[in-house]
Amino acid sequence: MLKKDLILKSPVEKAIGLEHITEGKFGAVLSRAGVGKTSFLVQIALTQLLANQKILHVSLDESMDKINLRYDEAYTNLIDHVGYIDPQKAVRLWDDISPNKVGISYTESNFNTDKIKDYLRSFKKSDIALPSIIVIDGLNFDKDVSSILEDLNSLNQEFSVFIWFSMKSHREEIWSNDGFPVQLEVVKDLFNKAIFLQPVDDKIEAVILKDGDRINQKYKLDPATMMLAE
Amino acid sequence: MIRDLERVRNIGISAHIDSGKTTLTERILFYTDKIHQINEVRGKDGVGAVMDSMELERERGITIASAATHCEWDNHAINIIDTPGHVDFTVEVERSLRVLDGVILVLCSVSGVQSQSITVDQQMKRYEVPCIAFVNKCDRSGANPIKVSGQLRDKLGHNSVMMQLPIGLEDKHDGIVDLVTMKAYYFEGDNGETMVEKQIPEDMLEDATIAREEMLDEVSLFSEELTDALLEEIEITTEMIMAAVRTGTISRQMTPVFLGSAYKNKAVQPLLNAVLNYLPSPLDIENVAIDLDNNEESVVLESDFDKPSVALAFKLEDGQYGQLTYIRVYQGCINKGDTLINSRDGRKVKAGRLIRMHSSQMEEVDSIPAGHIGAMFGVDCASGDTFVSPKINYSMISMHIMEPVISLSIVPKDNKAQINMSKALNRFTKEDPTFKTYVDHETGDTIIQGMGELHLEVYVERMKREYGAEVETGKPRVAYRETITRKAPFSYTHKKQTGGSGQFGKVMGFMEPCEEEFEFVNKVTGGRIPTQYISSCEKGFLGCMAKGPKLEFPVTGIKITLEDGGFHAVDSSEMAFQAAARGGFLEGYAKAKPVIMEPIMKVVIETPNEFQGSCMGLINQRRGIIQGSQEEGVMSVVESQVPLSEMFGFSTVLRSGTQGKAQFTMEFSSYKQVPQSVAEDISKKKADEKAAKNK
Repeated sequence: MLKKDLILKSPVEKAIGLEHITEGKFGAVLSRAGVGKTSFLVQIALTQLLANQKILHVSLDESMDKINLRYDEAYTNLIDHVGYIDPQKAVRLWDDISPNKVGISYTESNFNTDKIKDYLRSFKKSDIALPSIIVIDGLNFDKDVSSILEDLNSLNQEFSVFIWFSMKSHREEIWSNDGFPVQLEVVKDLFNKAIFLQPVDDKIEAVILKDGDRINQKYKLDPATMMLAE
Repeated sequence: MIRDLERVRNIGISAHIDSGKTTLTERILFYTDKIHQINEVRGKDGVGAVMDSMELERERGITIASAATHCEWDNHAINIIDTPGHVDFTVEVERSLRVLDGVILVLCSVSGVQSQSITVDQQMKRYEVPCIAFVNKCDRSGANPIKVSGQLRDKLGHNSVMMQLPIGLEDKHDGIVDLVTMKAYYFEGDNGETMVEKQIPEDMLEDATIAREEMLDEVSLFSEELTDALLEEIEITTEMIMAAVRTGTISRQMTPVFLGSAYKNKAVQPLLNAVLNYLPSPLDIENVAIDLDNNEESVVLESDFDKPSVALAFKLEDGQYGQLTYIRVYQGCINKGDTLINSRDGRKVKAGRLIRMHSSQMEEVDSIPAGHIGAMFGVDCASGDTFVSPKINYSMISMHIMEPVISLSIVPKDNKAQINMSKALNRFTKEDPTFKTYVDHETGDTIIQGMGELHLEVYVERMKREYGAEVETGKPRVAYRETITRKAPFSYTHKKQTGGSGQFGKVMGFMEPCEEEFEFVNKVTGGRIPTQYISSCEKGFLGCMAKGPKLEFPVTGIKITLEDGGFHAVDSSEMAFQAAARGGFLEGYAKAKPVIMEPIMKVVIETPNEFQGSCMGLINQRRGIIQGSQEEGVMSVVESQVPLSEMFGFSTVLRSGTQGKAQFTMEFSSYKQVPQSVAEDISKKKADEKAAKNK
């Protein structure tokens, strides 16, 4: 029950919908630096954990401890957002679902998909359920990432795992005619979903840039917790 | 012996396996003029380093037992305890840390802060031991002492402050720049014994000035005089800086970082100076004992030679003249011929021969005063015992000891081995509180228990080498436990009438899970069970805990509340109530959803980056949970939790999966419930064993 309550309160459930998180291949959360891409990605992953799925969080700029801390924080924020929950129950649930997340920290120059593939193959070999999504945080889309995306595309085909990226845009850049930041414009065909986060007044606005017919839907988030603003 | 305690240092050298601490110790002993040749640890010349006194250690190149040694440097006495580096032997590390006043934390300049350094660091924190860091192996390719100092800060939370800069690194590592004196030091002569002071090389002057400023910034926090001097821009003396660093280090608020290469004889002498300058003397440390005659009140011990003596036995060794007991004296002075009391059992012992050790060589002394480390001969005791003068009854606070998680059956090969084996086991259990042994009454096998596969392996080897006891070992067994998962009531009447006086006892109540091993609450009112039988009930319940009804594993975490019952004026007896309690336990237990628990180990693998994925795979295949992975330069660290039962033979698998390039450490983390499918396997195995026994 608690899991369901938490999912229902998640901003991800409103903005994307639990059943749509893994539809397709690639998804992106875009924003300028410091707006909350990683926090939103962690919320996406968290809904998967609450739905009894495994997730793999790869960070190219944060340490393993920092990743773990982000998940702890995100979970606490979600719990607080729901209202009163027996703290013991909340801790038990976290003990229950948190082992299903694996955080890996790479330096950007050393990042390659072979290591992830080796790891995922061991799931198949041992007949264990694969992660439902991989979060890749910190990949620099200002550079040419086509070969990495190609590799990740083949990884997606081999393991049927949806990959969510963070994508950093810049203030001064002009968006494309299709209404995408330049970083997304170049690779847009590979992406099924894209959400743009921007500060509006004292809130964060999440705008759907790409997701079937849900384009341009907007949601207001609390910048401190990334929960839906009341 | 030096009686001015300001000139005494009791230090340890702690580090990760292969960081080069034994080599460092060897060099220290060389420079302090105790030994006249330098031996390599792995025994290229067949001699082996002096500190590794056990044959087995020489062969494996690791230090298993800590040996204490004494040396003198610049008119100061330094007692060094060499501590083992492998996690399986951490009780040795902990015991050494207990008697030390300061530690040199040795880190490898290439691999930096490794998982074992983290464990050792936690232990240092527990015993509040101040430390200085030595970044060793600066001659190795990939050496980066500044990165290591950063890791000390980021990973271990030390306020690390570089006190030196390297002059060249890797094969160009020549010497160091001391940021306190702002001089360069080079090490000349065949074994680097001549320390030559020169001006700082021109090309390093700017870096050194910046580094000195950074150092002064940090250090000034510990001295008002230095802060004032910095603000008023008056001359900053070496003494001012050293005093501030000493204050910061002793209060554990900063860790000065030194560097060099013990193997290449670089910068060991400045490290020795740092030991004298920055690590505490026995006078700087407060040691506390508990007064057994006064409600276990804490008593602060004073390094006063005239007060009653208090000493802690921290290590035992079997020498050719009998048992050698290493002690640290905290108060008073132990003289040859003194009568002491072992406060654990109240037995009187006589301090016969007193000695001071230089590894396996010894020097007889007449007394061991407070603040010093020495050894007594021919005293029968266990490790961790406290010796006191007859006037007092103090005990040093007990050490943090973990319960063993793995067991192994051993069978002696012949009669001679049988006798020697019991001698060896007797010795080992005295030496090491985490090593336990008992006889399984059902199989008649001798079982040894310990903290890991390697831990037990080493004792089996030692039995063979030191005691000539060859034993065959069974498969390692995991220490499973049983517990309950929900509250359940019981109501049981024990009634027997078989001629003569009968037996009658009735117990009613409930059992529930709890954090403690066992808890018993008596809520019986109105004399429904007479008071004299309550303890029999408790005894009966407790008796069921040793062997669980489910699979005969020890039961833990049960709270029993006795609420009601019944008795018979003639037929009730202690026996009857014990039997009733047993019946009640079985009844409640069956309804309380019993489960099997298994020990889960924290496993940390350090592997070259290219094998990271496959290492994570190996954990996955072992019911392991990966907590995360982190890349650090060319190496990756994979942290995980894995059931101990899945870890047997892991070192071989890891070696073959990574071309021998990865290593792992393992330590006990917690007990967790076994998954249903595995529980079924365990019960099947148990049933098969039982069937085989009954055949």
